[in-house]
Amino acid sequence: MGLFGFYLKRLYTIFKGEVLVLPSRIVVILFFLVLLFLPVVTQDPYLLRILILASIFAILAASWDLLSGFTGQMNFGHALFFGVGAYTAALLNLHVHIPPWGGIPLGGLAAVLTGLIIGIPCLRLRGTYLALTTLAFPIILLGIVFAIPGITGGELGVSGLARLTGSRMGDYYLTVVLMIGLCTIMWKITDSNTGLIFHAIREDEVAVRASGINTTRYKLLAFSLSGFFAGISGGLYAHFMRIAGPSNLEISMSFTVVIWAVFGGIVTIYGPVGAVFILFPLLEFMRFWPEYRMLMFAVVILLILLYMPEGLFPWIRHKIETECPRCKIRNIATRKTCRICTAELD
Amino acid sequence: MGQPFLEIEELNKGFGGLRAVDRVGFTMGRDEILGMIGPNGAGKTTILRLITAILKPDSGLIRFRGKDIVGLKTWDIVNLGIACTFQNMRPFRRLPIIANVMVSCLSPRAMKRGEWVKKVEAKAMDALEFAGISDMALEKASTLSQGDLKRLEVARAVATEPELLLLDEPFGGLSPAETDLMAKSIQRLHKGGRFGRLHSEGPAMIIVEHKLQQLMKIVDRIIVLNFGTIIADGAPEEVVKNREVIEAYLGKGGA
Repeated sequence: MGLFGFYLKRLYTIFKGEVLVLPSRIVVILFFLVLLFLPVVTQDPYLLRILILASIFAILAASWDLLSGFTGQMNFGHALFFGVGAYTAALLNLHVHIPPWGGIPLGGLAAVLTGLIIGIPCLRLRGTYLALTTLAFPIILLGIVFAIPGITGGELGVSGLARLTGSRMGDYYLTVVLMIGLCTIMWKITDSNTGLIFHAIREDEVAVRASGINTTRYKLLAFSLSGFFAGISGGLYAHFMRIAGPSNLEISMSFTVVIWAVFGGIVTIYGPVGAVFILFPLLEFMRFWPEYRMLMFAVVILLILLYMPEGLFPWIRHKIETECPRCKIRNIATRKTCRICTAELD
Repeated sequence: MGQPFLEIEELNKGFGGLRAVDRVGFTMGRDEILGMIGPNGAGKTTILRLITAILKPDSGLIRFRGKDIVGLKTWDIVNLGIACTFQNMRPFRRLPIIANVMVSCLSPRAMKRGEWVKKVEAKAMDALEFAGISDMALEKASTLSQGDLKRLEVARAVATEPELLLLDEPFGGLSPAETDLMAKSIQRLHKGGRFGRLHSEGPAMIIVEHKLQQLMKIVDRIIVLNFGTIIADGAPEEVVKNREVIEAYLGKGGA
C-alpha cells in the first residue's frame, strides 16, 4: 500500500508539473476524458454515431497533416489511402471472411503499399505539380472500381460487411481509443528525430540532402506512414458503415480532409483532430437548414481563415500561452515570469 | 598510397547554350586548402555543385580517394565525407538553429562516427559552439543576421565531420571583423582536433571567394577560372602576378 501511495504521489507530482501548468495540455486531457466518459452521461445513439465518425475522420485528417503538413508533400488525393483501406477491409471481409480486427490493419498495409507505389513517381515532383498528380490517383482507382463491378460492386459498392464490434458502445470505445492512440503516435512521430527531418524537408529539400540525409527514403516513409493511418481510418469507416463505396474515393473526400486540416492549423497534428471534432458535428447540426448548409459551412471556414491564417488552434494557443523569449518554453499568458528560467515575459 | 585525394578530369557542364564548366581538371591533396576565384559567372559555384551532385555533369570524372563519385546521390557523397555550404544560405527558417544542425547530426556518417555520443542535441550544440553561435541555439533561424547564417552553414557542414569541405563564399556579406573571425575558424578547423564531442581530422577545403585579400592569407593554392575554364593554377603569390588573371579581372589593358 505504501509503495502504491508513493507511486500515486509521484504520478500526481508529474501531472501537476507537466500537465496542469499549461492550458493547452489541460484542454487536451479534458477532451480525452470527456470523450472517454461521455457514455456514462448519455447513450444517445445519434450523438455516439457522430462522435464515432468524427473519431474516424480525425485519424484521416491527422494522417494528412503528417504527410502534407510536416513533409510539405501536398497531397490532394488523400481519399486514395482512405478508399484503399476501406475497399481492402471490405473485400477481405466479404470474400475471405477476415474479421474486422484482421481486415482493418491489412487495409492499412494495403494503403502503405499504395503509398509506396504512388510515392515513387511523386518523389520527382514538387508543389503544384505534386498536388495535381496526387489529385489524379483516386480518380484512377475510381475508374478501376467502375471497370470491374463483379469484384468491387461498381457504383453500389461492397455492402453487408461484418459489424465493427456488434454494439454502438463497443464501436464508440474502439474508435475513440484508437483515435486517441493513433493520434498520439502520430504526434510522437512528429516530435522525434524523424519528424525533425520531415520538417526540414518541408523547409528546404536540397539543404537536407546536403546534410547527408537520404531524402527519398524519408519521403517514402512519410507517404507510407500517412497511408497506414489513413488506411486504418478507411477500414474503420467501412466496417462501421458496413459498406465501402465509390464515395470514399471522391474528390470531395480529398478536399474535405484538406479543409479540416487547414481550418485546424497544419503542422500541428492536434489542429486537424480538433477541427474534425468541431466541423463534423457543425455540418450535422446544419442539416436543419439543408438548403443553406454548405453555404454556412463555407462562410465559417472563410471567416476563420481570414482572421486566423495559421488555423484555429494555433491562434487560440497563441492567445492563451506566451513563449519565453529566453528559454522558448511555453507559459500561460497570465504569468509575468517564465516558469522555468524566470525571465520576464512581455 | 599514390592516388590523389580529389581528382577531377575533363569536367563539363552546360546550361542551354552556355558552357558553365568547360573541360576543367585538377587534383588536390589531403591537407590542402584550395582557393577558387574568378569573375562572376566563371563557373566556381557550378564546380562545387557538380562535386556534391546537386547538379549532374554532362561528362567528366570526379574521383574522391580513388572512388568515382559521378552518378552518386548528394547524400551518399556527403556520407563519404564531402560537405558543402551554400552561397545563398539555405537554413530551415522556421526551425530553431539547433534543429538545423541536428539534421546534419542525424546523417548516417555523423551517427556512425559519434557512436559514443548518445544525444544528437549535444553534438549539434558542439557544432554551434565551434561556429560561435551556440548562445542563439533556440532562436528561429529566420532571426539570424547574414554573418550568423554563414556561421550556421559552417556548423551544419562541420557536424557531418567531413574530410573535404567545400565553402561557397564564406566571407560574402560579412563585415571586416566577422570576416576575420570566420577566417580564424576556418584555419582552426583545418588544423583539426576535438571540438567538444565533435572530432575533426582537419578537412581539406575548397574555398570559393571574391574577397581575395582574406583568401590569400589562408589558402595554399589558388585556381583561377574564367568562362568555365582554368586559366591559372598555383601558389597565391604567383597567381596574382599572372597576366591572364589580371586581364580576366580588370579587362584588357587594365594592367
